Amino acid sequence: MVNDLKRALMEILEGSPKYKVSRYVEWLITAVVLINCSAVILDSVPEIHAVHRDFFHELEFWSVMFFTLEYGLRVWSLGAKFGPMAGGSWKGRRQYIFSPFGLIDFFATMPHYLHLFFPTLDLRILRVLRLLRILKLSKYNTALQDLFRAVSSERRAFGSAAFLLLIATVVSASLMHFAEGHEQPEAFGSIPHSIYWSIVTITSGYGNVEPVTKAGEVIALLTGFLGVCMAAIMTGIVASAFSNQMSRKKAAYQSQLRLALADGNISSAERDSLKQLQAKYRLSDAQVQVFIDEADKKNVQ
Amino acid sequence: MTISTTAVRSRSQHIQRRIFEILDGAVVDRASKACEIFIASLVVANVLVIILESVPELHTAYGTYFHIFDLISVIIFSIEYVLRVWSCGQKYAQEAGSSWRGRKEYIFSAFGMVDFLSTVPFYLQLLFPGADLRVLRMFRLLRIFKLSRYNSAMDDMFEAIKSEKDSFSSAMFLLLISCLLFSSLIYIIEGHDQPEVFPSIPAAMHWFILTIISGWGNVDPVTYLGVALVVVTQILAIALAAILTGVVATAYTAQVQRREAVYEMEVREVLADGVVTEEERQKLQQMQAKFGMTDEQVEAIAEQVKAERLARGEP
Repeated sequence: MVNDLKRALMEILEGSPKYKVSRYVEWLITAVVLINCSAVILDSVPEIHAVHRDFFHELEFWSVMFFTLEYGLRVWSLGAKFGPMAGGSWKGRRQYIFSPFGLIDFFATMPHYLHLFFPTLDLRILRVLRLLRILKLSKYNTALQDLFRAVSSERRAFGSAAFLLLIATVVSASLMHFAEGHEQPEAFGSIPHSIYWSIVTITSGYGNVEPVTKAGEVIALLTGFLGVCMAAIMTGIVASAFSNQMSRKKAAYQSQLRLALADGNISSAERDSLKQLQAKYRLSDAQVQVFIDEADKKNVQ
Repeated sequence: MTISTTAVRSRSQHIQRRIFEILDGAVVDRASKACEIFIASLVVANVLVIILESVPELHTAYGTYFHIFDLISVIIFSIEYVLRVWSCGQKYAQEAGSSWRGRKEYIFSAFGMVDFLSTVPFYLQLLFPGADLRVLRMFRLLRIFKLSRYNSAMDDMFEAIKSEKDSFSSAMFLLLISCLLFSSLIYIIEGHDQPEVFPSIPAAMHWFILTIISGWGNVDPVTYLGVALVVVTQILAIALAAILTGVVATAYTAQVQRREAVYEMEVREVLADGVVTEEERQKLQQMQAKFGMTDEQVEAIAEQVKAERLARGEP
C-alpha cells in the first residue's frame, strides 16, 4: 500500500504521461517558480520593497515551505525507483540528491533555513541562491536537454575550437606586445595586458586600443579576422550538432516504424509506442506522415 | 666479431624502435602517455613563463628564475628534437627507403619545423649575443604549437575543413575580389573628399577589412555614393560570415555522417554472424573512442541496425 503510493508519487513527480495529475503538478511548480522569480526582481526595487515588504516576506516563507515539501516528497518517493534487488531504496535517492537537478532543488530552498539559524548572514548571497529557483524550470524543458545533448555529442569539436581560441588569444597578445609594447606601454606593456585587447578584438572585431605601428595594424586586422572565423566555427559546430541529432532521431523513428509495419498491420500497442516516440523526439505530424508514406511505398514494391 | 656487431646493431635498433613508438604516440602505452603529458605540461609551463616574464615587475623580481627555467626547457626540447630525428630513422623499414627518408619527412613536416624553430634560436643568441631579444621571444612563442600534436580533435577540425576546401577557397576568393573592388571604388569616390583617411588604395583596403571584421571601418563617408558603398560593404560582411558559418556546418555534418556510416558498416559486419565476440566488442569500442562518438549515438546506430535485421526477418 505504502509502496504503491510511493511509486505513484514518483511517477507523478517525474512527469510520467501515465497520470494526468503529473501535468498539473508540473504547471503548479512552474507557476510557483515564476512567481518567486518575479518577486525577487520586484523586491530589489527600493520603492516596491518599502511598501510591500511584508507581503514578499510571507510569499518567501510559503514558497520555501512548498519547495521543502516538494524536495522531501521527491527524496522519499524516489526510494521506489530501484527494487530491493537492484540496490535498495537509497540508491535512487542518492542518485537524485547528487544529480544537478537535486542539487539545484536543495540549494534553491535550504539556505532559507540557514538564515533562520544565523540571522547575521549576508542577505545578498541568500538572494542570489533564491534566483537558482529559475533553474528548476529546466527540468521541464526538454528542448534545453536536447540542446545539451547535441552540444555534448560534439564536445570534441568544441574542445578543439576552444583550444584554437586559446592559441589565437595568446599568440596575438604576445605578437602585439612585441610590436607595440614600446610605443604604447600602458596598453601593451605586458602580455597579460595585451590579452585583454586580444579578447576584445576577437569577440568584437575592434580592439579597445588602436595600434600605432604598421606591424600592429596588420596583427590587429588578422586577429579580428580570426575572430570572425572563430564565430563561424562555433556556429557551424552547433548547427551541425543539431542537424545530426535531428537526423539520428528521424532514423530511430523510421526504424521503429518499419519494425511496426513489418507484420503488415499496426497494433494498438505499437501505435501507442510510436505516438510516445513521436512526442519524445518532437517530430511534427507532417514528418511522420512522410515516413509512413515512404514505408507504404516500399511495402507495395 | 661480426656476430657481436650485429647484436649491437639489433639492440640499438630495438631501442630506436622503442623511442620512436614512445615519441610518436602511435602505439598507446604508459610510457608514451607519460611522455606526452610531460612534454605538454612543459610546453604549457613555458607559455605561462613567457606571458609572466613580459610583466616588468615580475621580470625584475624573478628574471634569473625565468632564465634558468628557459635554459632547462631548451635542453629538454633539444634532447626531444634530437631523439625524434634519430628515432624517425625507424619509420620506414630498410626496403621502403633508407633511414633518412623518415628523418627528412619529420624535419620538413610542420611539427618538425615548429620543434626546430622554437628551440634553435636560443643557441643563435649564444653565438650572437647582440641579436634583438624580441625576435627571439617570438620564436619561443612557437612552442605553443607543439601542443597541437597532442590534440586529436584539432586533426578532426582540419580534416573537416580540408574536405570542404573548395567552398572555403571560393569564400576567400569572393572576399579577395570584393576587397580589391570596394577599396578601389571607395578610394575613387571618397579619396578627394577625405584624403587623410583614403590617401591610397592600400589604406582603403585597411578600411575594407576593418568593415568586414567589425561592421564599422572607423570612417564615416561624406558623399552619398560613399554611404551606399559602406552599406553594401556591411551587408557583404554579414553575408560572408553566413557563408563561412554554413561551410563549417556542412563540413562538420558531413564528417559526422561519414563516421557514423563507417561505424554502422562495422556494426553490420559484427552482427552479420549473429554473435558479438569480445574481440569485436573491443574493436567497436576503440572505433567509438577514435571517432569521439557518444554512447547515445552508438546505441542509436546499434538499435537501428537491429531493427532493420528484425524487419528483414533475420535473427
